[in-house]
Amino acid sequence: MAAPSNSGLRLTGSAGAALAVLLTAVLLVAGCTSGDRPEPSGPAGGPASTAAPPAEPLRVQLVTTAKSPPDGLTAKRAAQRAAPGLERFLDGYLTAAFVEAAGGETGWDGLLGLFDKPVKASARKQLDALSLGAAASKVSAVRPHRASAKAVVLYGDRRPAAATVRLAFDATADTAQGSGQVHLRSVLQLLATGEGWRIAAFDSRTGPPK
Amino acid sequence: MSRRTRPAGAGASAGASRRGLAWIAALGLVAALAAGLVVAGSPRRPADAQSAPAVTVQRAHAGSATPTLKRRIVLLTIGSDAGAPKFGRGGSVEGGRADALQLVVLDTVKRRGAVLSFPRDSYVPIPGHGTNKINAAMAFGGPRLLVATFERLTGLPIDYYALTSFDGLTDIVTKVGGVQVNVDMNLRDTFAGAFLDKGRQKLNGRQALAYARARKTLPGGDFDRSRHQGQVLLGGLGTFQRQVAQDPAKVMTWLAIMRDEVKTDLPFPELLRLALLATKVPASGIRNVPVPSVAGSAGGASVVHLQPGAYALFARLRAGKLS
Repeated sequence: MAAPSNSGLRLTGSAGAALAVLLTAVLLVAGCTSGDRPEPSGPAGGPASTAAPPAEPLRVQLVTTAKSPPDGLTAKRAAQRAAPGLERFLDGYLTAAFVEAAGGETGWDGLLGLFDKPVKASARKQLDALSLGAAASKVSAVRPHRASAKAVVLYGDRRPAAATVRLAFDATADTAQGSGQVHLRSVLQLLATGEGWRIAAFDSRTGPPK
Repeated sequence: MSRRTRPAGAGASAGASRRGLAWIAALGLVAALAAGLVVAGSPRRPADAQSAPAVTVQRAHAGSATPTLKRRIVLLTIGSDAGAPKFGRGGSVEGGRADALQLVVLDTVKRRGAVLSFPRDSYVPIPGHGTNKINAAMAFGGPRLLVATFERLTGLPIDYYALTSFDGLTDIVTKVGGVQVNVDMNLRDTFAGAFLDKGRQKLNGRQALAYARARKTLPGGDFDRSRHQGQVLLGGLGTFQRQVAQDPAKVMTWLAIMRDEVKTDLPFPELLRLALLATKVPASGIRNVPVPSVAGSAGGASVVHLQPGAYALFARLRAGKLS
């Protein structure tokens, strides 16, 4: 009875074994890479999936462009100069709105301190659209997955004066009943003040993505 | 013995050994494939989340807000006739005559307002300079004197002024890509270069300036012109709102243009807040009101006299009534 033909395997000896090991390694690596891909969001309005990607430290991935750079600075250089301050502000915002808000014990003064005074009262009334909001008390921990932003910065008097930021944030929130995803999609209009960036206007939503 | 030389039975043994290795490799490969597929097909998840049931942590919420300024803002917009090109490049826009004069009164709480358009030849008292055409006030004492003249005339405290030139208006409209204006008459004004048909249309920078300047061929002369200037201003507001609704970052674009083309005493934070507020003020809530006036003469010069209705209008505004 003829042996099953498998020319590939027939060619293997020690070299074949090495090839197999190599293939194994490639497949394993492929498997790991696949697991790192961002996952599609669950259906709108439905329960959040627990199949969330692993938590990562909160760090906003920011793409910045600049309008009216001051003399001596290219738009690219002006954008680079403005980016670190904006990143710190957005990190601080998401930390206060989600990560530190978990447990509901810290209150919202820290978050509201990031708003310009003429919009602060409106922000206080709309915390659910800006943060964990009323859900904070039932959440024990928030594990960020993605925080990305695109900013257009306006210069004035050689320093950033205002900016428009589109912010996206996805995370897993743990509760006593299980884990689910939280999302934020915001447009923030920022004003540079002596105390740092402040939110002068916003258009924001939380909950399942549209 | 050479390593290549094998005993007769050794060849068979070595072949069996190679086949064994091949089978081991094959089995390893299959196992690896299976393992790889399992890993590839399974989402990686934190250990603590694997056993957790799916829960909805937060339902959908949406919200938005623009600054709440809780007060009335009165802004004097001035179009200077200075032929000088751009600020800082020769000429003095503040030293020109103010040929376009609009008083913008905005109720920031009710989010409505009025644009009062004043004929440039309005014959009014100018502090320290007797009575003269209102557009001479800026030539006498710059925007500050013009503001003082308006405050005395209307009794309304003016918070800020915004000043631009012919070139400035042209550039603003060009840079924002044109403004939508409902042209209210057919225009064939060679003096101003205005050749427009009646109807809603997008005006480019040159057309917007011409529409705002045309006077000599208009039936209402200076009255029609001041109304058209108000229309251009409100057309700019509508264009701003539409662009920002499509792309919120356009706020930065417009502010950059204003910074280049407009001279103002508005501090930047207040300018930004007003711009953001303006995105939510419906254009239908702002009325373009030509100030009641009548043509006349003074000292042999053609002037415009404000009528009693104008002073009644100022009184209503002082009382906080915009309707």
